[in-house]
Amino acid sequence: MAALRDGDFAALQILLKAPSKDAVRQLCQECFSSPPAALGPLAQRACPGLAVSAEEAEQLVSALHNLTRHVVYRGLTAPEDILHLFPENFHQNLKNLLTKIILENISSWRNEAQASQISLPRLVDMDWRVDIKTSSDSIVRMAVPTCLLQLKIQEDAALCGNNPVVSALTVELSKETLDTMLEGLGRIRDQLSAVANK
Amino acid sequence: MGLLNFTREPVPEAVSADMHNLNQLSAQQFSALTELLFRFLTEPKEVERFLTQLSDFATMNKISLGPLKNIVKSILLVPNGALKRNLSSEQVRADFIALGLSEEKASYFAEQWKVNSPTLTRLAVGQTLMINQLIDMEWKFGVTAGSSELEKVGSIFLQLKLVVKKGSQLENVYVELTLPQFYSFLHEMERVKTSLESFS
Repeated sequence: MAALRDGDFAALQILLKAPSKDAVRQLCQECFSSPPAALGPLAQRACPGLAVSAEEAEQLVSALHNLTRHVVYRGLTAPEDILHLFPENFHQNLKNLLTKIILENISSWRNEAQASQISLPRLVDMDWRVDIKTSSDSIVRMAVPTCLLQLKIQEDAALCGNNPVVSALTVELSKETLDTMLEGLGRIRDQLSAVANK
Repeated sequence: MGLLNFTREPVPEAVSADMHNLNQLSAQQFSALTELLFRFLTEPKEVERFLTQLSDFATMNKISLGPLKNIVKSILLVPNGALKRNLSSEQVRADFIALGLSEEKASYFAEQWKVNSPTLTRLAVGQTLMINQLIDMEWKFGVTAGSSELEKVGSIFLQLKLVVKKGSQLENVYVELTLPQFYSFLHEMERVKTSLESFS
C-alpha cells in the first residue's frame, strides 16, 4: 500500500489535459485496480490520450494509484474527508471531479480489495452425492450408504493474477465421519452466534 | 458332499480329515478353541497373540502344533466364506455338518457365529474401499482486523484443515470460507445426513 507523496498532487494536475470526464473516470479505475508492477505499461497506454511525455504519464498514473488506494485503505467515505486530502491551491473543479469519481467507486473498490486479499485457498463451490455400496470384495451383499463430497478450491488470487487455479477435491465420508463433522460445524455455528450476540 | 453355502469352489481334501480330528476333541476343548478363533476374527491384527494362544492350547492339550494349525486353517474357511456371503447361523451349522463335523460341535460353532457376526460384519464393511477418505477436520475462525490494502476490515473468516487419506498417505487440505459459505456448507451437510439416514 503506497502512501501519498508530496509530488503526487502536482502530478494529478496533468489530468486537466484529459479529453473528457469519462477519460478521467476510466483512468482512475485502471489506476486503482492495477498492481504497482503494472503501472508502467498502464502509463504507456495512457500517454497518447493525454498528450504528455512518458515521464509525466508515469508520475500521473502513480499518483492516481496512490490517491485511490489511500482513500480505500483509510476507509474514507465522507466527501469532506476526501476533499481535505487535497492541498489548498489545488484546481477546484478537478478536485471536485476526482472526489466525485472516488465516491462513486469507493464501495466496489473496497470489495475488490477484500476479494484480492491474501488468504488460504478459498472454497468456490461444493457438490455432493450419496451412494449405496451394494457389494465389495470383502462382503458380497450389503447396503451401506456413503457420501461423496466435491469441493472446488481456488488458489490464492494474488498468486494467480487473472488465471485463478481451481482444483477439485473429492472426499468420501462414512455416516460416522459425517456425524462427527456436523458436530464440529455445529460447534462453530454456536460460537459464531455467541460472538454475534456480544 | 452336497452343495455348500460358504463357497462354490471345491473344498481341499485335507478338510475332511481335519474335521474328523476336531470331533476327537472334548466339548470343553472345542469350546476353548472356538473362543480363541473368534477372538482372532474380531481382532485380525493380533496375529502374534493368536499364534501364541494357539501354541499354548496345543501344549496344554498335548496336541502337536503343526496338525493343529492345519485344523484351524480348515475351520476358518467357513466363517470367512460365511462373512462374505452373509450366511445365517443355520447355514453355517449345515456347512460344518456337511464337512463332517459332529452335530453338537457344529451347533455350538454356529451359535458363536450368531453372537459374533454383527461385529465381524462391521469389520468387513469397514475394510471396504473408500476413495480419498476424510479422516479428520480441524477448524479455526477469526476476524480479519486489517490488511495492507484496507486499514480496518472486521470481516469473519473460517479456516478448515481437512485430513484426507490418499492411498496410504495422508494429505492436508486447507480451505478458507466466508460466513455465508459456511452456513451454506452446514445446510448442505445436514441435507446429506438426512439422506444417509433415510438409507440406513
